[in-house]
Amino acid sequence: MTKLPIKISAKNVDVFYGAAHAIKSVDVEIADKMVTSFIGPSGCGKSTFLRCINRMNDTIDVCRVTGDIMIDMEDIYDRRVDPVQLRAKVGMVFQKPNPFPKSIYDNVAYGPKIHGMARNKLELDEIVEKSLRRAALWDEAKDRLQEPGTGLSGGQQQRLCIARAVATEPEVLLMDEPCSALDPIATAQIEQLIDELRSSYCVVIVTHSMAQASRVSDRTAFFHLGELVEYGYTSHIFTNPSDKRTESYITGRIG
Amino acid sequence: MVSISFPFSMILLIAVIGYFAARRKAIAMVKGNLRQLQALPQAYGQTVFFTTFLPATVILLGWAFVVRIMGPSYALISDGLFQVLVIITAAVGAALSYLRVKPSQRARAISERWIMGVLMAASALAILTTIGIVISMLSESAIFFRQHSWSDFFFGTVWAPNFRGGSQLSILPLLWGTLYISFISLIIAVPVGLYAAIYLSEYASPSLRSVAKPAIEVLAGIPTIVYGLFALITVGPMLRDFFVQPLGLGSSSSSVMTAGLVMGVMLIPFVSSLSDDIINAVPQAMRDGSLGLGATKSETIRQVVVPAALPGIVGAVLLAASRAIGETMIVVLGAGAAARFDLNPFEAMTTVTVKIVSQLTGDTDFASPETLVAFALGLSLFVITLGLNIVALVIVRKYREQYE
Ligand SMILES: Nc1ncnc2c1ncn2[C@@H]1O[C@H](COP(=O)(O)OP(=O)(O)O)[C@@H](O)[C@H]1O
Ligand SMILES: [Mg+2]
Repeated sequence: MTKLPIKISAKNVDVFYGAAHAIKSVDVEIADKMVTSFIGPSGCGKSTFLRCINRMNDTIDVCRVTGDIMIDMEDIYDRRVDPVQLRAKVGMVFQKPNPFPKSIYDNVAYGPKIHGMARNKLELDEIVEKSLRRAALWDEAKDRLQEPGTGLSGGQQQRLCIARAVATEPEVLLMDEPCSALDPIATAQIEQLIDELRSSYCVVIVTHSMAQASRVSDRTAFFHLGELVEYGYTSHIFTNPSDKRTESYITGRIG
Repeated sequence: MVSISFPFSMILLIAVIGYFAARRKAIAMVKGNLRQLQALPQAYGQTVFFTTFLPATVILLGWAFVVRIMGPSYALISDGLFQVLVIITAAVGAALSYLRVKPSQRARAISERWIMGVLMAASALAILTTIGIVISMLSESAIFFRQHSWSDFFFGTVWAPNFRGGSQLSILPLLWGTLYISFISLIIAVPVGLYAAIYLSEYASPSLRSVAKPAIEVLAGIPTIVYGLFALITVGPMLRDFFVQPLGLGSSSSSVMTAGLVMGVMLIPFVSSLSDDIINAVPQAMRDGSLGLGATKSETIRQVVVPAALPGIVGAVLLAASRAIGETMIVVLGAGAAARFDLNPFEAMTTVTVKIVSQLTGDTDFASPETLVAFALGLSLFVITLGLNIVALVIVRKYREQYE
């Protein structure tokens, strides 16, 4: 399990919402250039843990995170780390496609503009094109860059959100059930895209679909009631789980 | 005059008697075995009550209203006879509906229909009153335009009413004052209200919010006459003594600036509470999307939240503008009464609403153009604010649809 370079490593992470204990001492090491999926029954804390990795939980007043999460051996909860900078490096794609009410171009250019990544319009154009290509949306969008992003179909919107995240040149991509609001065809497109993103990013995807986890991910982590029950190679987890709870979940007895 | 209280109490009495009688009859017809009834016994009573009470009451009030407006000579029958007829209507209604009471009657459905009728009448009344107001304004304005040239009213430049005749009655100097004061008040209310809304909805803790939001809304509950007094007694003299006179800008304590400032304060809660609702309606997913890309909170607000809420905010501003244009008490007390075109905001000026008040108060006869002009002014104002409101509502509604 430790042969590949480790990108994200969490030790003893607990998360509380007020008094509610949502994540219970989770340890996990996530490899670079791979797709890791989080599965588990709804409410088990998958999203919560995912949101720890880019400190989105900071935006929730009642949320408290303890323990260590390192990215590239750097503690992201250290006081010297600016969560705003961190989030440029750790991109996120949400459950429901949430393009801004702006043009397709401005949606993608949003991050690069904020972070001053382009010195002129030409460079910005390049970034936008590259990101849309990355997200397999360029061919469909190149003739309508100035039209509102909200006018795209659901699947296209989600790819736009991926393009938007990719545009800030992140190293990690977090995806929280990115296909749960999409139809099967759009889902297949996104899954193919994730497969392509694997070579450049460390991808972490939350999914409620075990079929999806087995299709797209190299490794799978099974969460249950805030605990990380089992973590390993996807093929191994699905064929030969070592924990009773994992077995019950993948055979459909809990969840 | 038609007397109402006696026939009305009789109608009510018959209706109440009908209610109890019908209830008893329904129970008696099934010999107390209520399950054989289509509805609860009360429903039979209600049916009789409505059938007795409503038609007779509508006739009574309608007739009294007509006679009141048209004058007693239009009443073709004597008051006494009319009262008897109304009471007979009620009695006939009671008798007929009482006879119809039988176990198989679908009494609930019938009384439902009467209830719907009452509710419908209430909404119709609200709409009809508005129409009535417009019609009366139109007819008075028509009289005015028969006596006074419309080109002077709409395109003249001087407001100089003269009760001995030969008045110049142009709306333009008044409209200028109205728009100037409204403009100043919006310059104050829009940024302050908007920033307050942004602070309250995006930054303030829930506990602060729960205190501050009602506190701001209390401002909206202050009667405008109180704001007017504040303008007259405090703001006006202070502006004059500490600002206008030392700088040699004028010597009046009533001014566009005085009224505009105070009206701006009045409008702050209006803008802030509408904008607050609108900003809160921007889905959290928008904010998360922006924060997730590494934007700071204020970048998120500036570049995502406010643009997303913009149509709604524009709607709120237009609604505030239409309040400002129609506002009267603050300008009566704060702006003065001089109708003129002037750019200096420290000069006294006046507005359409102030002149409506002044043309109608005091000894006036309602036939001269100097008085009737008030209706033409009111109608113009109504058209302007109606237009603003419609535009605002269309914008707000369009915005709401975006996120549904
Ligand atoms: N913003 C929040 N405030 C309070 N409790 C929350 C919040 N978000 C999630 N929770 C709680 O944390 C637990 C885990 O939620 P979540 O991480 O969303 O689960 P999952 O994504 O696996 O369905 C749940 O019990 C949920 O009720
Ligand atoms: Mg979730």
